[in-house]
Amino acid sequence: MPSLTLLGQAVVSGLLAGGIYGLLALGLSLSWGLLRLVNLAHFALALLGAYLTYQLGTALHVAPWLAMLAIVPAFFVLGMGFHAVFTYFRVTEFTSLLVTFGVAVILESLIQWFWTADYRRYETAYATASIRVGPLFVPTLEMLACLTAAVLALATWAWLRFSYVGKALRASAEDPAIAAAFGVNHRRQAFLLSGVSAAYAGIAGTFIALISTLAPSQIWAWVGVVFAVVIIGGLANPIGALLAGLLIGVSESLTMAVVTPAWAPLVSFSVLILILIARPDRV
Amino acid sequence: MMISLRRLGCRGGLAALALLSFLTTAGAAPSGPPIRIGGTLALTGPLAPTALLHKIAGELYVEELNKGNGLLGRPVEWVLLDDQSKPDLTRSLYEKLITVDKVDLLMGPYATSGILAAMGVAQRYGKVFVHHSFGMPHLAKYEMHFPTAAFGFEPNVTLPTTVFNALAATANPPKTVAILTSKFPSAQFQSNGAREIAEKRGLKVVLYLEYEFGTRDWGALAARVKDAKADFLWVGALGLDGNQLLEAMKKLDYTPPRHFHLFPAPGPLALAPEGKLALSSTVFEEHPPFMSNPSAARLVPLYRERATKANVPYAYVDTQAAGSFAAWQLLEAAVTATKSLDDKALGQWLRANRVDTIIGKLRFDGPNNYGDDLFKVKQVQDGKWVVVWPREFAAPGARLLPP
Amino acid sequence: MSARGRVAAGLLVAGLALGGLATAGLPAFYESFLYIIFSWIALATSWSLLSGYAGYFSFGHGAFFGAGMYTTATLTTALGLPFLATLPVAGVLAAALGAGIGAVVFRVKRLRGELFGLLTLAVGFVLATIVLNTRIDGGPGVYLSAVPLPRLLSSPTGTLYLLGLALALATVAAAYVIAHSRLGLGLYAIHDDEDVAELEGVPTLSYKLIAFALSAGIAGVAGGIHAMYVSYVTVGETFSITVPLYVVLMSVLGGARHWLGPAVGATIIAASLYAFTGGQQAVLGRAAVAFVLILVILLLPEGVVPAALARWRRWRPHPLEIFTTAAVTPAPAAPAVALTCENVWRAFGGIQALRGVSLSVEPGEIVGLVGPNGSGKTTLINVVSGYYAADRGRVVLGAEVLTDRPAHEIAGLGVSRTHQIPRPFAHFTALDNVALAATFGATRLTPGQARAEARDWLEFTGLGRRAAALPHELNLHERKFLELARALAGRPRVILLDEVLSGLNPAEIAGAVRLIQEIRGRGVAVLFVEHLMRAVLELCDRVVVLNEGTVIATGSPHEAMRAERVVEVYLGKAHVVA
Repeated sequence: MPSLTLLGQAVVSGLLAGGIYGLLALGLSLSWGLLRLVNLAHFALALLGAYLTYQLGTALHVAPWLAMLAIVPAFFVLGMGFHAVFTYFRVTEFTSLLVTFGVAVILESLIQWFWTADYRRYETAYATASIRVGPLFVPTLEMLACLTAAVLALATWAWLRFSYVGKALRASAEDPAIAAAFGVNHRRQAFLLSGVSAAYAGIAGTFIALISTLAPSQIWAWVGVVFAVVIIGGLANPIGALLAGLLIGVSESLTMAVVTPAWAPLVSFSVLILILIARPDRV
Repeated sequence: MMISLRRLGCRGGLAALALLSFLTTAGAAPSGPPIRIGGTLALTGPLAPTALLHKIAGELYVEELNKGNGLLGRPVEWVLLDDQSKPDLTRSLYEKLITVDKVDLLMGPYATSGILAAMGVAQRYGKVFVHHSFGMPHLAKYEMHFPTAAFGFEPNVTLPTTVFNALAATANPPKTVAILTSKFPSAQFQSNGAREIAEKRGLKVVLYLEYEFGTRDWGALAARVKDAKADFLWVGALGLDGNQLLEAMKKLDYTPPRHFHLFPAPGPLALAPEGKLALSSTVFEEHPPFMSNPSAARLVPLYRERATKANVPYAYVDTQAAGSFAAWQLLEAAVTATKSLDDKALGQWLRANRVDTIIGKLRFDGPNNYGDDLFKVKQVQDGKWVVVWPREFAAPGARLLPP
Repeated sequence: MSARGRVAAGLLVAGLALGGLATAGLPAFYESFLYIIFSWIALATSWSLLSGYAGYFSFGHGAFFGAGMYTTATLTTALGLPFLATLPVAGVLAAALGAGIGAVVFRVKRLRGELFGLLTLAVGFVLATIVLNTRIDGGPGVYLSAVPLPRLLSSPTGTLYLLGLALALATVAAAYVIAHSRLGLGLYAIHDDEDVAELEGVPTLSYKLIAFALSAGIAGVAGGIHAMYVSYVTVGETFSITVPLYVVLMSVLGGARHWLGPAVGATIIAASLYAFTGGQQAVLGRAAVAFVLILVILLLPEGVVPAALARWRRWRPHPLEIFTTAAVTPAPAAPAVALTCENVWRAFGGIQALRGVSLSVEPGEIVGLVGPNGSGKTTLINVVSGYYAADRGRVVLGAEVLTDRPAHEIAGLGVSRTHQIPRPFAHFTALDNVALAATFGATRLTPGQARAEARDWLEFTGLGRRAAALPHELNLHERKFLELARALAGRPRVILLDEVLSGLNPAEIAGAVRLIQEIRGRGVAVLFVEHLMRAVLELCDRVVVLNEGTVIATGSPHEAMRAERVVEVYLGKAHVVA
C-alpha cells in the first residue's frame, strides 16, 4: 500500500507535468478552435524555441528569461508569417494537417542540421532545485512552468471573454459571414492570434529547454498526448486545456505510483474515453 | 630494377627490396575499382543521436583505410543510407544495397530491431553480416553474423554477475536492490536477468518496476525509488531515461547510493551533475590498458578530432564508437587474410580465427557466434567514464568509488 | 465500355502487370519497395472508407493495424498456425474491434468530428499498453523468423509482394465499388449532413458500422502481412504515431473522397521515403521532400486526384456519369395512409415543448399547423420524423407505430420533411441531392432509376435547368424548392413542410402554392407549418393551432383563426372581439 507521501508526491508531479502539457496545448487549442487550423508545426516551433534558448544560454550565456524576451516577439512574427502563407493559399482545416506536418519536418531537419542529432542539455544551477512543502518536494522549474501555464491560460481566457479582439475571434470562428457583417476584421484578428499562438509555443520551448534534454525527434513524442489534451479540454478553451492537461498528468502519475508504471497510458486514456462517452456535453 | 639488385648483391638487394616495398606501400594510394561496403544508420529519427557516433567512427575508419592501402590495394567506399530509425525501411534498404547497388560487403545498422531486420536480408543472400549494437544474442540465429557488442551469449547472466562482483569487492557491498527497467526489449531482458542474479546471490530485491519506453513524467517513479531506500539501484535505462530519473530524484532531494545504468547515452550521463559516480558497462575507455592496444592509439585521437568538429558534446571513444571500429576491423582482417571478397570464405575465416580489435581479441565460435563477454564496469569520475572493474582493466589508480 | 468496366479492366491490367513483374526476376529491393507501397495503399484506402467518405476522422488506424500484426505474431508463434491462415483471423479480429468501438461510439450524437478523432487515438494508446503489459508481447517483442513463409514465388520477398499486391488491389476495388453503391452514397451524405441523411432514409448507424468494420479489417490484414515482413514485432514500432498520422496525410494528399485518391497519395508519400536516403543528404533530403509535399497540397487543395480529374474534364468534357440500367417501372406507391399524433409529449430539460398534442392528417388533406413562435411546431415535426423521441404518446402512420423507431426507418415508411432553413448536401449536385432521397426513400430505387426519378422531381419543382448545380450556387428560392423536390423524391405518403414559403417573393409563393396543391392531388397527406396567413387560408383544409405546446384550436382555417383564444394568443387580449 503506497504511503500518503508517495501518493501526494505523485499528485504534485502529475500536476506539474500536466501543466507543461497544458502550456503546449494552449497555442494549439487556440489556432485549432479559432482559426480552424490543425497546427502540427506547433510542436516543432516549441522545440525550436527550446534549442534557441539552449543556444543563447550556452553560447552567449544569456539567461533563459532574457532569451524568452527575445524569442517571444520573434516567434510572434514567425507565426504571423506562417499565417500569411496559409491565408494566401486558403488552407482549410483539412489541408492544414498536411501543410503543418511538412513545416514540422522542415523545422526538424533544420534543427538537426544546425545542432546535430546528438543530445543537448542546457545545464543550469537550478535545474534540480525544489521547494519543500511539508514532506513533499515541489521542483521549482516545473512549478514555474505550471504557473506560467496557469497564468497564460487565465489571461487568454479573459482576453477571449472580455476584450473586443477576443470576442471578435470567437464570433468569426462561429460564423465568419455574420461576424464580418458586423464589422469584424477577421484577417487582422487572425494574424494577431497566429502570432500569439506561436509566441506561446516559444514560451513552452524555453521551459522545455530548462527541464528536458533535447533531441530533434522529440517533436513527435508530444503529439499524441497534447492532441488528447487539446480535444478533451475543448477547442479554443484555454482553461479547459489546462485542466485537461492536469487531469492527464495526474492520472498518469498516480498510476505510476501505485501499479506497474507501464500501465500508465492505459489509465489516463481510458479515463479520457470514459469521460467522452459518459458525459460528452461537458466538453 | 632487378638488374641493379643483382649488381648490388644479396644484402644490398634485400635492402633495396625493402626500400622499394616501403615506397610502394606508403606512397602508392589504393587503386582500381572501389570495394563497396553497404549499410544503413539511423541518420534521422529517434535513434539518430547514437547512430551519429557510428557514422563518425565509420567514416573515419574508411578514410584511414584509404590513406593506407585500402583493402586488397583497392579504395574502400562506404555506401551509407538513412533508415530513419525504421526497421522495415532498414530491411528494404539492405535489399537495395545487395540487389540493386550490388555492394561487395555489408556493415550492420544501429540497434537491435534494425539489425534483426537486416540480418534476415543478409541471411537470404548469404552475405557476411558484421554489426556492433545488438542486445539479444539468443535471437541472432544466422550462422554468418558477427557481433562486436561483445556481451557473450548470455548477457542477462554475465553482465549482472560482473556488476554484482564489482560491488561485492567494495568495502560496503549493497544488500538491497531496486530495479527499474524500461520495457524496451533488450533492456527488459537484461534487467530481468539482473533480478534473478541478485536473488541468487542473496540480495533482496525491494523494488522491481517496469516503465513504458517513452515515459515523460518521472516524478512518481522517482518517489517510489526514494521510498524503497535500496542500497543499489539498477536502471534498465535506454538513452536519457537514467538522466531524467536521476534529475527527478534530485528534485526530491534523493541521490541513490549506488546506481547502474544499462544502455545510457554515455555523454549526457557523464556530463550531467547528477551523473556523478554513476555505473555502467563498457568494452572500451580511453585509458590504459585499453589505450595500449595499437589501433586505439591510432584511432582515438582521430575520433576525438572529428567528433569535436562535428559538435558532439562528448567526444570520447567509448562502447559505441569502439564497437563500430571493431566491426570495421573484422571486415578488414577477414578480407586481408582471405584475400577475397567471397562471403563464404570470409565467414569461415571469422568463425575459425580470433581477430585483434580495438576492444580486444574477439572470437566467434560460441553459441550463435558469440564469444567471450568483454564487458567491464565503468564509473563516472570527474565528468569522465573510467573503468573500475575488473581490476586488471581499471584505469590506473581507479577503483569503484563508494557514494 | 462503361466506366465500371473501364475501372475493372484497369485494375485487372495493373494487377497482372505488377504480378508478372514479380515473376520477371526483379531484384528483391524492388519487390520490398513496391510491397511497402502496396501496404500503404491498402492502409490509406481503407482509412478513407470511413474517414474520407463519411468524414469521421479516425486517428486510430494504427490500432487496427497493430491488432492485426499481433494477431498474426501470436497465432504463428504461440499456436503454430500457418501464416496464411492467420491473415483472415487478423482481419476479422480487427474488424470486430472496429465494430465494437463503433457500436458504442456511433450511438452518441456528440461524438463526432474531433471528439471521434480523439477517441480513436485513445483506443490506440490503450491497445498498445495492453499488448505491452500482457503475455501478448509483455516487452521482449515477438520474433517470427522461425515461422515458415509459403513460397508462392521463388523469393520470400516475392510472397509478401504478391500478398501486398492482392490486398492493395482488393482494397482499391472495394473502395471503387463502395463509392458507387448505396453504401457509398449514404456515407457521402453522412459526411455532408448526418442528421439530414438519417431523415432522408439513410441507415446511418449501420452504414458507419459497416464502413468502420471494413476499414479496420483491411488494416488488420495489412498488419498481419507486415508482421512477417518485419519478422520482429515490438510494441514501440507497431503502435507508433506513424501509421495513424501517415494514412491521414496520404489520403488528404491524394484526395480523401475519391476512391483512387488515397492510393495515389500513398504511392507519392511512400516512394518519397526512399528519396534522399543517401547518407550525406539525409537530413536536408527530408526537408526537401516535405517542402515538395507542402507545395503540392497548397496548389492542389482538393487532392491530387480530384485536381487531375478537373483538369481532364476541362480538356475533355463528357456528360454526367449515370449508371443506367434497364428501365424498370418502380414499385407502385404504397397505399395512402393517415398520420396520427396521439397525446405527444416532449420536454427539453425544464422546457415542456409539447404537451399532449393530438392531431391527424388524412391522405389528400393539407393540415395547417400554426401558432406563435416557440409554440412547438418544429418540435412536433422533429418528433414525427424521428429526429427526437417522444417522451410520452405515440405517432402512428396507418397501422405502423412510428415512435421509438430510428429516423431512417420512418423515412422508409414514407414520411418526408423539409427544413425551415434548407439543408442540402453541400457536395452533391441538385440532381444528386434529390436522387439520394429517391434511393433511400420509401420506394427503394436503384441509383440509375433514382437519378431518372430525380430529374422528374426537379422538373416538377421547376429546377430542371439547375440539375448540375451545387447548392452554394443556388439562391434561396431554388434551395427551398430543392428541399421540396428532395422531400418528394422519396414518394412519401406524408410530407411535413416546415415554413417552406418563408423568404420567397409573391410570385415564388404563388408557384409554391400551386406545387403543394398538386402534391395533395396525388394523395399525399400534407402537414403544413406556416406563418403566412394568406397561404394558410388558401391551401389548408383544416388548421391546428398550437400555443406553448398545446393545441388550442382546430377546425377549418377561417373558424380556427377566429377563435377567441387564438386571437388572444396572436394579438393580445385587447383585440378579442367579444
